[in-house]
Order: sequence, then C-alpha cells, then structure tokens
Amino acid sequence: MKGIPTILITVSPEVSAQMRPPRALYPKGFKIGNSLGRPGMRDLQKNVLSDALELLRKNTRPGEIITIEYLEYGEQYEPPHVKTPR
Amino acid sequence: MTISRKCVPFTPFERELSKSTIAIVSAGGVHLKDQEPFNIADELGDLGFREIPQDVESSQLMVTHHHYDHSDADRDINVVFPIDVLRDLQAEGFIGGIAKKHIGYMGYTMQLKAMYEGTAREIANDIDKTSRADAVVLTGG
Repeated sequence: MKGIPTILITVSPEVSAQMRPPRALYPKGFKIGNSLGRPGMRDLQKNVLSDALELLRKNTRPGEIITIEYLEYGEQYEPPHVKTPR
Repeated sequence: MTISRKCVPFTPFERELSKSTIAIVSAGGVHLKDQEPFNIADELGDLGFREIPQDVESSQLMVTHHHYDHSDADRDINVVFPIDVLRDLQAEGFIGGIAKKHIGYMGYTMQLKAMYEGTAREIANDIDKTSRADAVVLTGG
C-alpha cells in the first residue's frame, strides 16, 4: 500500500479545510499555539490525542473536519477566518 | 486562496490502534535545541525540516517560529508536539508504539509550490521509509 494514514489536529479549521486534509479534528475554541490544549493539562492533551487517533478508524468523509468540544479547556477563542474575495 | 481541487489523498487505516506505531509531524517550528533553528529572517519562510529521534526528551525540544505565539509551547512542548502524551498512551496500551522518528518544520511559507511539491514529499518519504510509523499525527501551531 502506498501512502501513510494521517490525522490532522487543527485550531484553524477554515484555513485547514482549504487544503482538504484526509482526516482532521478541530478542538473547538482552542487558540493557535494550543493544538492539544494548555500547558500542563495532560489529561486534556491525552483526550484530544486519543480522540484524534480514534478518528483514524472512523468512517469520516475525506476532507471533512470533525469538531469536538472540550469544556475543561476553559475560555474559548475565535479561530481565524478565511477572507473571501469580493 | 481557494479550496484545493486536488483529489484528497486518503489512505485507509485498518489496523488496531493498540498494535500501531505513531509518528508526529508538526508544522509548529519544533526542533532539538542543538539543531539549527529555522530561519525566521527569511520572509519567504524556511523550507527545511528537522528529524526528531524516538527517544527525545521533551526538555530537549524548542520552537523557532514567528507566525504564532508559542509561549505556551515554550512551557510545555506537548501543546504542539505531544511526544509525552503519546508515551502515556503507549504505556496505557492505547497505541502500540512510538515511531523511530518524528518531524518538525516551520509551517509558514510564501513558497507554497516548493512546500507542497518539495518539502512535503521529502517529509512523507522520510517518514514512510525510516520511521516505521503506521499512522501520523499532524499538528500546527
């Protein structure tokens, strides 16, 4: 088999969607620089990573970005939006 | 920029996670402290990448990237490069193993074609041929 299965963890879902990644997880409201969560929050980081890995085995649609909310992250941030040309 | 019209390069994954080896490829500008930092002075971006060994200590890693706030990663590299988290998941039997090699690169470039056709392919080949990874976790900043 040629190719390696990948799972992307993205905090910029609109930007990532343009590249149509095979599989992707958006942890809702995580800010840029916090792909897995905040520093030292190992349980949260583990939840995000295990959820991402489990998406490898789920029947997701190629190019689709799956959003999961993690309340333990705390304050949420607005992700960057893609400017559409006028 | 418009949505890519290229076919989505989807590779099926049919293994058990508990028997699978996982690699990390991060666009977050992660590298070993004793490796050459990414060239943030080049406004076009740095097209290089750094190999990170299987047995790396997270304290040996750092970030060179000037297009996101990496102060949290400076305190805990796992927020963009979850090597210790992978080890926890391996210890729990959730995954089978850690790949022999991981990759860090600087996910900012004004040279998209060179990144897509050059760097990305080199990274994929490197991981495919030498890391023994069954799957790859991709992270950004």
